[in-house]
Amino acid sequence: MSREREPLHRPWIAAGLAGGVAALLTVAFVRVHRDDAPLPAIAHRALAVALPAWRTTEPVNEIVYGTRAFDTFGETFLLLAAVVAVTVLARGREPRHEYVGEAVAALGEQASVDPKRPPGSSRARTAEEVEESDRLPVRVADRRPLGPPGLELAAEMTVIVRVAARIAAVVLAMAGIYLAAWGFAPGGGFPAGAVVSGVAILLYAALGYRAIRRVVRPRMLESLELAGAAAIIVVELLGLTLKGSFTANWVPLGPVGTIRSGGVLQLFSGAELVEVATGLTIAIFALLGMQHEWSPER
Amino acid sequence: MILGNYLAVAALFCIGLYAVLSRRNLIKIVMGLSLMEASTYLLLVSLAYRRGSTAPVLVNPPKGQTEASLARGNVADPVLQNFCLTAIVIGVAITAVFLTVAVRAAQHYDSLDADDLRALRG
Repeated sequence: MSREREPLHRPWIAAGLAGGVAALLTVAFVRVHRDDAPLPAIAHRALAVALPAWRTTEPVNEIVYGTRAFDTFGETFLLLAAVVAVTVLARGREPRHEYVGEAVAALGEQASVDPKRPPGSSRARTAEEVEESDRLPVRVADRRPLGPPGLELAAEMTVIVRVAARIAAVVLAMAGIYLAAWGFAPGGGFPAGAVVSGVAILLYAALGYRAIRRVVRPRMLESLELAGAAAIIVVELLGLTLKGSFTANWVPLGPVGTIRSGGVLQLFSGAELVEVATGLTIAIFALLGMQHEWSPER
Repeated sequence: MILGNYLAVAALFCIGLYAVLSRRNLIKIVMGLSLMEASTYLLLVSLAYRRGSTAPVLVNPPKGQTEASLARGNVADPVLQNFCLTAIVIGVAITAVFLTVAVRAAQHYDSLDADDLRALRG
């Protein structure tokens, strides 16, 4: 921050504008329907057709992937656009195969490409190299002498955290995928995808990048992300081709409460799971991996 | 009292708006935008609420209700729950874009102050 002190006129103008919006919103909300209003027609329709037409017990799933599937289709590609934007903005100078820690492996190549600035030529660069190389001074937090708090690094997590994270990761991943696969999760792939990406972040926080580097790498995640997007397009286009409607069901329906109940809803939901899980993971790890500057060091 | 929820929505939205308008720190602006997003989630689930209703799930209906009565509408509005679900995921992705821009701006200009980002100023 070049200037710590904010100018004084801004808070007053902002308070006036925010107060005006608050007054407008309050007037509007007083006239909004209350909790005794009847449900809108589209909600009644979704509730009425969920069991007979789709054999699903989750009207929310029926709306997300059935009645309003075209809306979800658009939102999926909005998510993809956001992930592409993060990837483009966060990309390093050279193409990378891993999100975190790869700069150390490329030190030799960097020295040959950029001989004027050999690795370790500045304090900032040296600190960055130590941080990325996993050569941490203290491996176990219990052995760290008492004193000022150090960096919260995964390698310093205690054995309790590491064991608990391993157990919680399995339970979370299974619960998320099971609920989505059997159609019991309201929203199917959306919450399940967030759970799966949460598992990756939990393991990264507790065990470090080495624990997930086989799966969480740009090429793998970006391929999966685009495969999910392609699967959604194919599922919806087959509805258009076979049944004459973009979101129509073309899969034979199984009994209620099984993996095949819901037909095409389940296919869309599964593809959405892949799309959301990989999309959020890409966005978060791209942010975590943003360590090199574009501009020259000052 | 659902009106309390609506007023909380207005308050949350305006706190977020105040942060966006009054702060110059990019991270604080992103936090304000996240608060505004959160207010819309609260609005959507509050609009979906119906007094005495259950979750819109057509399995094992509560005592005194059948699956047919649930389907007739004695449940929370599933359409608004759908909006809320998708909005949360999109909100996370958009926040990631904002934060990426903030990190790049900080790296490029050596500052998180929005007033220092003046490359386009003539």
